[in-house]
Amino acid sequence: MKVTYSWLKDFIDLKIPPQELAKKLTMAGLEVVSLEESAGDFVFDIEVTSNRPDWLSVLGVAGEIGAICGRKLKTANTKEQKLKSKKILPIEISVMDKKDCPFYSGRVICDVKVAPSSNMLKRRLELLGCRSVNNIVDITNYVLFESGQPLHAFDLDKLEGRQICVRRAKPNEKIITIDGQERSLGPEILVIADKDKPVAIAGIMGGRATEVTSRTRNILLESAVFNPTLIRRGRQKLGMQSESAYRFERGACLSSAINASLAAAELILKSASGRPCGYKTLGRSRLASRLINLDSAYAERVLGKEIPIIRIKQILSSLGCQVKFKTKNVLVIEIPDFRQDLKLPIDLVEEVARIYGYEEIPRTIPAVRPNDEILNTRDLVCSIKNTLCGLGLHEVITYGLAERSLFAKSGIKKDTGLVEILNPLSCEQEVLRPTLLASLIRCLAYNLDQQQEYVNIFEVGNIFSNIGNTVQEEPVLAIALCGVHSFLTKQGLIKDDISLLHLKGILEALFIKLGVNDFDFRQDDNQINIVLGQKQAGFMLDLTPQALSNFNIKNRQVFLAEINLKQLFACVDLNRKFLSLPRYPGISRDISFIIKQDVAVKDLLMTIEEQGAPLLHLARIKDYYQGKQIPSGFKGLTISCVYRLKERTLTDEEINPLHNTVCSLLQERFGIKLR
Amino acid sequence: MDINLIQEKIEHDLAGVVSGQDLEGLRLKYLGRKGLLAELTGAIPDLPIEQRGAFGREVNALKNRLLKAIEEKEKGLKAQDSISEEHHIDIGMPGIAQEMGRLHPITQIIDEICTIFSRMGFSVVEGPEVETEFNNFTGLNIPLEHPSRDAFDTFYLKKYSKLLLRSHTSPVQVRAMKAHKPPLAVIVPGRVYRPDAVDASHLFMFHQIEGFLVDTNITFSDLKGVLELFAKNIFGQDIKMRFRPHFFPFTEPSAEVDISCIICRGKGCSVCGRKGWLEILGSGMIHPNVFKHVGYDPKKYAGFAFGMGVERIAMLKYGINDIRLFFENDLRFLKQF
Repeated sequence: MKVTYSWLKDFIDLKIPPQELAKKLTMAGLEVVSLEESAGDFVFDIEVTSNRPDWLSVLGVAGEIGAICGRKLKTANTKEQKLKSKKILPIEISVMDKKDCPFYSGRVICDVKVAPSSNMLKRRLELLGCRSVNNIVDITNYVLFESGQPLHAFDLDKLEGRQICVRRAKPNEKIITIDGQERSLGPEILVIADKDKPVAIAGIMGGRATEVTSRTRNILLESAVFNPTLIRRGRQKLGMQSESAYRFERGACLSSAINASLAAAELILKSASGRPCGYKTLGRSRLASRLINLDSAYAERVLGKEIPIIRIKQILSSLGCQVKFKTKNVLVIEIPDFRQDLKLPIDLVEEVARIYGYEEIPRTIPAVRPNDEILNTRDLVCSIKNTLCGLGLHEVITYGLAERSLFAKSGIKKDTGLVEILNPLSCEQEVLRPTLLASLIRCLAYNLDQQQEYVNIFEVGNIFSNIGNTVQEEPVLAIALCGVHSFLTKQGLIKDDISLLHLKGILEALFIKLGVNDFDFRQDDNQINIVLGQKQAGFMLDLTPQALSNFNIKNRQVFLAEINLKQLFACVDLNRKFLSLPRYPGISRDISFIIKQDVAVKDLLMTIEEQGAPLLHLARIKDYYQGKQIPSGFKGLTISCVYRLKERTLTDEEINPLHNTVCSLLQERFGIKLR
Repeated sequence: MDINLIQEKIEHDLAGVVSGQDLEGLRLKYLGRKGLLAELTGAIPDLPIEQRGAFGREVNALKNRLLKAIEEKEKGLKAQDSISEEHHIDIGMPGIAQEMGRLHPITQIIDEICTIFSRMGFSVVEGPEVETEFNNFTGLNIPLEHPSRDAFDTFYLKKYSKLLLRSHTSPVQVRAMKAHKPPLAVIVPGRVYRPDAVDASHLFMFHQIEGFLVDTNITFSDLKGVLELFAKNIFGQDIKMRFRPHFFPFTEPSAEVDISCIICRGKGCSVCGRKGWLEILGSGMIHPNVFKHVGYDPKKYAGFAFGMGVERIAMLKYGINDIRLFFENDLRFLKQF
């Protein structure tokens, strides 16, 4: 909201320069977002918070300055004149529902001379960004900016039947507003109507048919209070915004509505001649006063600073309240009607602190008493993230919302329905994601486009699905790998083609770090299921050629994994128990052989373990190879068997026959060919 | 002549040998034709006859020891030569190590902030991103149809009329207070959503951190103290702070917190919009109506709450000028943090 320095000076003696005033206003809660010098005047642009409609006016800001600087306002005190009955031009005003319009006033002024405004008026309006129209319209705008009360002037002779009816619009009723647009109305919109038709959208914008033009002679000046919610809904529905609606939806005040009508009339009579021909009001003309008690001890308890009760009284008085002592420590405060925001003692404490100065309140450190009931999984998530970073992966964060088509593109099947957004601004906000993988693929494809040879990323985030009649939200970990990992060794550059086994290795390292003892990877149709504690907790897959081409990924495979974190956390065991180190050395025997491709190494290892027990301590795959020396359809393997006993050193004589039976069994059962 | 002294001298000389050349010099000095040992042997005939035998044996023993020491030294030197030839390293060559991954910069800022508050005794609590209208608005004293809601434009879900995507982390205040009795010191990091058109400073998803402290005796001065401690921890001890009155429906009194611009140090620059101040936080004393909604007695308990945008803090700290970079996830960007 804009105000000018010179306009403020109409109401208050300003002894400080504009820059300093801007600082003071900012520190009292009227943040001055810009201060510009223009044509010898200064324009303050103030960000007014939504609880203070009274600040949306020159008078409101001047009042605040009065409280900050301890000065009184200069306000004229005009009184309503009594008119002789023969001078009154009768009009008929009705309000259908007082809830929609608690107060309505119409003032008739006849024989006005519509002309351009005075230069002073024009200049003041233009500095606030308001275009000059003619003296009557300009005066209504001038009073709006000065008092905060929106007014509207009708051409009285164009009001059919000299009637005003405040009512809801009928279905499909139409009006052309002063901006030339035709608007379709309905029962949720409040209108001002004459005998036949709407002549204004109440509180939002006037109609073209009854606007004041150069040919207008008699006017009806409207000043009213409308239901804020109704105005808000109406302008949202119509997609309109106006200075008037902005103020009405924040709440107009009765006393301003009465005063503004009078002030505008005075200006019109002064500058556009004319004569008063009647004033009619409907609704309440006075509000019951509201009283709040404030204990100075309460203020101190909230603020952590004792402010003398005399100072409290003085601050609240300077803000327009009537303040009296109830007891030595308790004040009783009568709230002025323009301060609808003051409802509770705490609101008054804020007012006192604001004017007293937040800067005057000390800084203290409380004794924080932690609540030991609170448990969370954040430390576990941190541990997962740090482990993955240690394994070389980079964390990404992608949007929780995405376009529906992204998931179709990825080809990743999710059985449950998508959770849709009611009011997306664009297609990329259509649905809540059912998987993190689609976003990770997109992110990976983007990085490949930036000439990355190797992309290894992960994300921890929530996925969403419709389960029955509820939205299920669950945290998952997702990993995506792609490309060739090149790294230096002492022997030179190694180029490592990323595979599903790299992904498996990462997950194994993570599970071991988290103390997950029972994990397994099981081949399913198109994916590998990750099984934790005998339950499927996630899956790994390589992206289908179709999906790869959908994301424009060429000549590369993409490996993905997603794991449900709730299930993972259920299997985490961070307790560790020390196992004593072996006291006797083991004997290691390697078996190198070739074997048919389709033999599963899991079965092979299991057979070795069964046969080698109890002397066999461990059997593991030490090396594998495929290539020139290996016939096609076969793979070469080296399995290392470690024999060891806890109580004594084993001898070659004990091991050799056992190891030989292991080898024979493998030949027999799996047809291995020793090399 | 004292044999022991000579032995010491020989050992000292041997220790100083670093090359074959040194070793040859040492050999000549002691074992050469005019060397010390030859001199000693030559002196034997001048000794009294009863000492000659013993002295001769000592000289001989010394000679043998010396020969052996020289031989060992020679071996050592040879081995050293061959090692340093094979293992010659140009230290200008790249070091060899596995590349580490990085945490996302947003995660790093969240961790840093949570750590600061954890040290003060705050616990981390998280809440769901799909929220009820009550927790996001009504429970926080935000009327459903009021201009104060304009600041919280919100995504709603189709098919669920009362569900939405939380537009701030404050609903976790309602959740945590309903679940636990005071004292309560909580910090809440998380994603939030608002229907905003995307540009260099706006996104439809971003991160917030909410914090609140409730006990029987919490004051506005405590709020000031705790937030000052926090801001100095994260932005440096030399920053200035100011608390400006503001309006939030769920706090009263409310304050916006500015720090002196960390770019221009308060002189005014493009980052702070020539103001010299950067707004970093919204805060205030928890509104009595919020306490009523969660079943706390506002006469018995008091508390403060604050909230901040993580992206904004990350952008200020790292000098990032486009918020979209955070979610583009370009590895060249991520690897900088």
